[in-house]
Amino acid sequence: MNHPLRACELGMARCHTCGLLARMPQQGNALCPRCQSRLHLRRPNSVSTTWALWLAAAILYLPANLLPVMTVVYLGAGQPDTIMSGIIYLFLNGNWPLALIVFVASMVIPILKLLALAYLLVSVQRESAWRKRQRTLLYRITELIGRWSMVDVFVVALLAALVQLDAFATISPGLGASAFAAVVILTMLAAMSFDPRLIWDHTFARGNNT
Amino acid sequence: MNNALQSPWVACHDCDTLYPAPSLAPGTLARCRHCGAVLARNPKGGLSRPIALHLAALILLILANAFPFLALDLQGRQQGTTLSGASLALFDAGMEWLGLVVFLTTVLLPFVYTASTLYVLIGVRQKADLPGLTRLLSWLSHLRPWGMLDVFMLGVLVSFVKLNSLANVIVGPALYAYTGLILVSAVATTSIEPERLWTALSGTARRRRSS
Repeated sequence: MNHPLRACELGMARCHTCGLLARMPQQGNALCPRCQSRLHLRRPNSVSTTWALWLAAAILYLPANLLPVMTVVYLGAGQPDTIMSGIIYLFLNGNWPLALIVFVASMVIPILKLLALAYLLVSVQRESAWRKRQRTLLYRITELIGRWSMVDVFVVALLAALVQLDAFATISPGLGASAFAAVVILTMLAAMSFDPRLIWDHTFARGNNT
Repeated sequence: MNNALQSPWVACHDCDTLYPAPSLAPGTLARCRHCGAVLARNPKGGLSRPIALHLAALILLILANAFPFLALDLQGRQQGTTLSGASLALFDAGMEWLGLVVFLTTVLLPFVYTASTLYVLIGVRQKADLPGLTRLLSWLSHLRPWGMLDVFMLGVLVSFVKLNSLANVIVGPALYAYTGLILVSAVATTSIEPERLWTALSGTARRRRSS
């Protein structure tokens, strides 16, 4: 056996709250001796929970982009704006750096998150041994950048709070913003429910060694 | 094991590899050899530095919420907002769920997180048996990713640019406090390492039990 020793092989579990390594009992529930949280060898039902959250996020991604995120009424005439039309507006106004930021944060990042999580899930279910370190890095990046997609929701809220000038100009938030926030939250939860140790599990069981 | 509260081993939280618990000099960290994850950190400055930083963050947080944040001046009509104004605008428009989410991520959770961290840090430093220390410390690591004031800062920037071409945007005192808060929070976060707090907490509990 020439692979590094892993905690699960010794029946030891790392507490997900305080990081303490403790021995798992043969049966029954175990509580961490330090913080009393439930001990698990792996996040319970990681793959199925992540898929469920992923699916919910993927479904809501459609209304998030198709429904208007806000409606701008200027001097009596107004039109609803989706995320995409907001980006185009910024771009046409010469503000292409900002258009790029919003495009990356609101369109690119959520899609990349969904693709990355799907890839990680499939690779774990297929017990793939391919590039474990890179997949772990992919997971870490996915977990870190997800929250930044909320920027569009905050912009809508701020604009709605500031542009309330009666007959002159008003901005009101749209349902697309709610759907979008739901997508961000669901993908954050999905990333949190995925256990990256699964990437390394089957590799060592087969005696592979990378 | 007569000391179940400490372990001579640590397991990597990303790949589960076992390592002997590292003893680190201040300002250094230990990484997993296989996947590169951070195993343990020892931030410089012990406990005094994080306490000062989190106290500063708490004060800035209160200031950022107490005063007007941004205002729009269009042909003499002025409309301003505070930090909570963003979530209030969503409530007013009938989008209560979204208003609650924005309120939690930009007002309540940052405040609860900073105040709780300060409470735990003081409890650990004074070696006092303050109520609820363990429970709070358990919740801290779960709360942190849901405080989104840094993302909100980007939202402020985007809104500012969007509005500046249409009207006169006035910066309120709260915005300066808010900028300071983002900077202080960033440093404050790196100044603490939860696992060291747990070790210190369980050390206090052990001493209390044996005395």
